[in-house]
Amino acid sequence: MNATFVIARLTVREAARRKLIAVFLVLTVAMVSLSAWGFYRLAHTRSVTSGDAQLAVPQALILFMFMFSFVVALSASAIASPAVSAEIESGVLQTVVTRPIRRSEVIIGKWLGLAFLVAGYSVVVAGMEMAVVDWVSGFLPPNPVAVAVYLFSEGAVLLTLVLTISTRLSTLATGVLGVALFGSAWLAGVVGALGTTFKISALRTVGQVARYVLPTDGLWHGAIYYLEPSRFITRVVAEASGSGGNPFFALAPPSWQYLTYSAIWFLAVLGLGLVSFERREI
Amino acid sequence: MSPTSSAEQPASRPVLEVQAVAPSVEPTDTSGTLPGTGSRGRQLVSPAVHTIELRKQYPRTVALEGLSITVRRGEIFGFLGPNGAGKTTAVKLLLSLVRPTGGEAMVLGAPVGDVETRRRIGYLPELFRFQGWLTAREVLLLHCRLLRLPSAQWNAMVGDALATVGLSDRGQDKVGGFSKGMQQRLGLGVALLGAPELVVLDEPTSALDPVGRHHVREIIRDLRARGATVFLNTHLLEEVEHVCDRVAVIDKGQTIATGTISELIGQQSSVRLKVSGLDERWWERLAGFGRWSIEGEWLLVEAIEPQQIPDLVGAIVGLGGRVAAVVPEHKSLEDRFLELLGEA
Repeated sequence: MNATFVIARLTVREAARRKLIAVFLVLTVAMVSLSAWGFYRLAHTRSVTSGDAQLAVPQALILFMFMFSFVVALSASAIASPAVSAEIESGVLQTVVTRPIRRSEVIIGKWLGLAFLVAGYSVVVAGMEMAVVDWVSGFLPPNPVAVAVYLFSEGAVLLTLVLTISTRLSTLATGVLGVALFGSAWLAGVVGALGTTFKISALRTVGQVARYVLPTDGLWHGAIYYLEPSRFITRVVAEASGSGGNPFFALAPPSWQYLTYSAIWFLAVLGLGLVSFERREI
Repeated sequence: MSPTSSAEQPASRPVLEVQAVAPSVEPTDTSGTLPGTGSRGRQLVSPAVHTIELRKQYPRTVALEGLSITVRRGEIFGFLGPNGAGKTTAVKLLLSLVRPTGGEAMVLGAPVGDVETRRRIGYLPELFRFQGWLTAREVLLLHCRLLRLPSAQWNAMVGDALATVGLSDRGQDKVGGFSKGMQQRLGLGVALLGAPELVVLDEPTSALDPVGRHHVREIIRDLRARGATVFLNTHLLEEVEHVCDRVAVIDKGQTIATGTISELIGQQSSVRLKVSGLDERWWERLAGFGRWSIEGEWLLVEAIEPQQIPDLVGAIVGLGGRVAAVVPEHKSLEDRFLELLGEA
């Protein structure tokens, strides 16, 4: 077996052995069940008209998915921060990198293993939540696959950054930095949206720059867009209701230029991680 | 071979050079060709380890200052020095865990860091830690995969490794529950996988009890018996005396002596004699045997070759002396080690 896949398999196996996968599955089932109850009440309460429910259910789903996107991103950061640094600190990597294996294979193997976990969680959580909401309320987002893909992309971006930082900083510092950067990027997105609403160019610029520095928020907006029913977007645009300031609304999906930039960002950061680990003294 | 001082060494303390720095040549093995020998058309084996002025400098300290050593194929080479001497840095340089700031190093005929050469090297780090969530058997299987050993042989190899290090009955247990000594044994098992040509052991008995240490020495001797080279990094003089063919002593990042144990200790020893009945001019007749001094009722003869002691006794008897006691005194490795470090 190729050394990259040996490391990837080992990474996934560690998550399973440390009961990470089991904990996430139990937690997800509990949260999705709770949301099923809530969505059922929202869609079947007499005081809520069907028209209101048609608007409220997608908005509530976006809020729920936002919570799950937070879990995906922070989990990606949490599992990636010790991936290299903890094994350098403990000495575990000394016997691995002295085998006939390239250091790049260690990093790519770890990335593949961690990305598999993030992808699996994104698909399971998005799939379960959207299926349950469809079951209890009859609302299915226009493109569930795209929602899962954007959710994964957001997690993968943070995972890649944290893994790269993990080649140089301690586990604790890497974890804190990952969470702080993700939170800052999201907040900068909200600031940018407010700048757009109130026509404050400086704030709008902050949001734009942040989307390029760390594309998590930009990709999250891709997930939002594909969670919104078209009538919802049409109504917001028609009413010109100022949803530009709403961090849970997207008028358009990310452009192909932005997606291309995000792909280049990902490759550049991963490449930086490879170079950093290659030069790292263990 | 007698010790000689090196005029080229800048160190203030004495430097013992008992072996040429040039790589040794063993005609029985033809796995490599030494640089500069090709024109003669003769296939020669490269040394297991060969370093020239290998240096590692950090911003505030020099960890290794110009290490030049040659480890021959099939020998047990002791790398001796006090704590902080630069031993582990040297080992990490040889395994490409850290990068040198100067000099050159070849391992098994290839530059350090050569990925394919690592297949022929086994390594037990000083900091022996493994994935605690794996069983001992799974750790060994992981390394079988990383070494790309034939999968049909994995079970047999893992079983052999566990048996060799005395962990056969703990193979299914999680490594996280192992004592330090058991983890070190497992580390040794990992280092032995794939029958490596060079086994680098960094303080291999630091966590072991006396029985475990004895066991490890037997394993090291077995490695020599099958033709493997062992690079033994240690500060335990007893360990070196028991198993090593040759030794390099380093301190403060510099090599201060290399050679066999006897070369290191020196051939010359001293002898104490209790003698009576000699005339007043005895010392003129016996001056050629060494340096004489009188300590109470004992005569102390220093710097005498061990094989000269019977001749000395014969000469004393020939002069009419009566020899009541002869006590040869050999310098121990510890004495010599402390002497080299300037601690004696």
